[in-house]
Amino acid sequence: MSATTPAPGQSRQRILDRIGAATQSVKKDASQLADAYRALPRAYIRRGALAAAARVELMIERLREYDAEVVESTPVALPAAIAAQLATSGKRIFAAPAGLPSEWLADGFDWKIDDSLATAKIEEAEGVVTAATCGVADSGTIVLHHSPAEGRRVLTLLPDWHLCILRASQVVETLPEYFSRCQQPPALHPRDQDLSLGTPALHPSDKDPSLGTPALVTTISGPSATADIEMTRIKGVHGPRFLHVILVRDES
Amino acid sequence: MSHAALNQPVLDPTLAPPFPQAALPVLRNPQLRKNVAHAIDVIQAKRAKLVAEKTDWQELRSAASAIRMHTLENLGAYLEEFEAKCTAAGGVVHWAADAADARQIILDILRQEGAGDVIKIKTMTSGEIQLNPFLQAAGVNVFETDLAEIILQLGEQEPSHIVVPALHLNRGQVREIFARRMGLKDLSDDPQALTAAARTYLRQKFLTIPTAISGANFFIAETGAVGVVESEGNGRMCLTLPRTMITLAGIEKVLPRFQDLEVTLQLLARSATGERMNPYNSIWTGVTPGDGPQRFHVVLLDNGRSSILAKPKQRQTLKCIRCAACMNSCPVYRQTGGHAYGSVYPGPIGAILTPQLMQMHHAQSLPFASSLCGACYEVCPVKINIPEVLLELRSQVVNQERRDLARFLDPMYLGLRIANLLFAWAWLFHASQFMGRIGIRFFTRNDGWIHSLPSVGGKWTQTRDLRGFPKQTFHGWWAARARQSSPASGKEAK
Repeated sequence: MSATTPAPGQSRQRILDRIGAATQSVKKDASQLADAYRALPRAYIRRGALAAAARVELMIERLREYDAEVVESTPVALPAAIAAQLATSGKRIFAAPAGLPSEWLADGFDWKIDDSLATAKIEEAEGVVTAATCGVADSGTIVLHHSPAEGRRVLTLLPDWHLCILRASQVVETLPEYFSRCQQPPALHPRDQDLSLGTPALHPSDKDPSLGTPALVTTISGPSATADIEMTRIKGVHGPRFLHVILVRDES
Repeated sequence: MSHAALNQPVLDPTLAPPFPQAALPVLRNPQLRKNVAHAIDVIQAKRAKLVAEKTDWQELRSAASAIRMHTLENLGAYLEEFEAKCTAAGGVVHWAADAADARQIILDILRQEGAGDVIKIKTMTSGEIQLNPFLQAAGVNVFETDLAEIILQLGEQEPSHIVVPALHLNRGQVREIFARRMGLKDLSDDPQALTAAARTYLRQKFLTIPTAISGANFFIAETGAVGVVESEGNGRMCLTLPRTMITLAGIEKVLPRFQDLEVTLQLLARSATGERMNPYNSIWTGVTPGDGPQRFHVVLLDNGRSSILAKPKQRQTLKCIRCAACMNSCPVYRQTGGHAYGSVYPGPIGAILTPQLMQMHHAQSLPFASSLCGACYEVCPVKINIPEVLLELRSQVVNQERRDLARFLDPMYLGLRIANLLFAWAWLFHASQFMGRIGIRFFTRNDGWIHSLPSVGGKWTQTRDLRGFPKQTFHGWWAARARQSSPASGKEAK
């Protein structure tokens, strides 16, 4: 370890030179590198085998194993289902992302719409309602890409209670299926997407709607938890202690 | 107490005592051994159940191993790609050749920010470069935010595991630390209450301290993104609320493409905590207007990694994704706990990583801290052949030591030199065998066993008996057998 700090940039070249020397014997040009990457073995399961109904059942089962509350609904009954969840939560002040469909904002509650809300205002909210991007049934994981209906990252973090609306058509069985949905660029920028459930999906003919490679991703698998003390699983440390999911049966 | 000094674990490999000596405090502490064994049993059982559920586990391991090795073989190209993409997305990438370099880069950023306080997400790399004491000495208050790290920081303890760093402490010990340091006299020892106390203690810090330091579980070359895998949400707090974020991680943490996470993320949580998926994964790309820190720095740390990369047999060490499955499965770690390894990286991976990061100048006892049973290799999600690397490092240590003049009269090396001589000539071997057989009779009791030997031999017989020599040597038996059988037949004797 040197006592003197090298000038900025000096370390960069030093490290890259060392790496270059260390890997000299296997050096590749750009096209060889791409070929070598494509040749990597990927014999693991890419696509799931479950039918749509079983896939959604698995998602619900896995979410419940994480102590998430799950109810099912339909596109038509969704606003009422949201209102019912909010009512039974016993909470009054809810945050919502700016892009949340207005029919989801049930009457009778104090809504804080996130048009650049100050952190202190979000902290005052007792709960938050958001949409989601994807659900991975195999691990019971909800994926957020933080589109306008999913909100900024802080929005689903500070309130202690999170109600997440997930559509059955967004549920995939395996993690690789989620990643393959991210492979192609989306037809529209996520911020321009129509997120209300009444309208058809972006690509009505496409079975796997393309999501594009996201700049921000948060995956949520149950409420925040720790097992740092004697490996006892404790629900709720800093993130929301309560995760509620409404699974909307939007597939025939 | 003559062992008082030993009871303070030293996790600086340049200062830590050799493994057998450092292991003594735990071996002599039944409570500590119980805490470690309990925690490991729980994780192991959960892991086994969830791994068995994955029918393509071996295929995932093979893919992960191949992706990691491919990345390492082309590390320069992928790091430069990451740097370009991260910079384009608004991040600032720094390169640190060694620990001192990294500490100074981070302090310089904090000084520019005028930061007197900093919140931290658990990062083993910061322990590796001993960042906290350095920042504290420079007048920066460091607040750890992971529950286990708070326990260790407030209790002035050292981590003993890379995923659950406070697993050597039980609830009573945690209660004592929290009650004393948070001023909560009536705190119960219920893990729920202890966790709630930590939540309250940190909430205001999350909301007010504008600078954070994190590690990274991966960098994505294709997009310039950075990822953090966690459970509690303290990571998300640090990644979201502050104005400035500094991420420190080793150069080996890069993955070629975003899609490669479909492999890593399936393996990591199952291996680390025995969950299908950990509660939160966060991935961010540079700076996003209106969401999260608006100033973002990445510090890429070499600190000995490029020298590991240069050795093809040892290169696989850098495939590690820090899941800790190897230490959870290790019969040695189970008995000694993590502190004995004299580094923030304990267990089998620590036994190979630490001496290499020290470029074989320190921690020379670690490659011997293993029974070579291979359990670590079997559970490793990226197929690091730890026993193979252990053997390679052992041979390097031995080669260093036997050339060391100070060890010229060391009984082991003296013995090996003599053996080398004896095995080189048959007559010398037979002569010494003849003499030895006469000599050994004086130590062989009537029951046919040797119960005690003098001098160096006593180290063996101290704890075990040795069977006496048989009446006939193998050479003697072979010669006699040849004489008895017919010279013409050449067939096997019955």
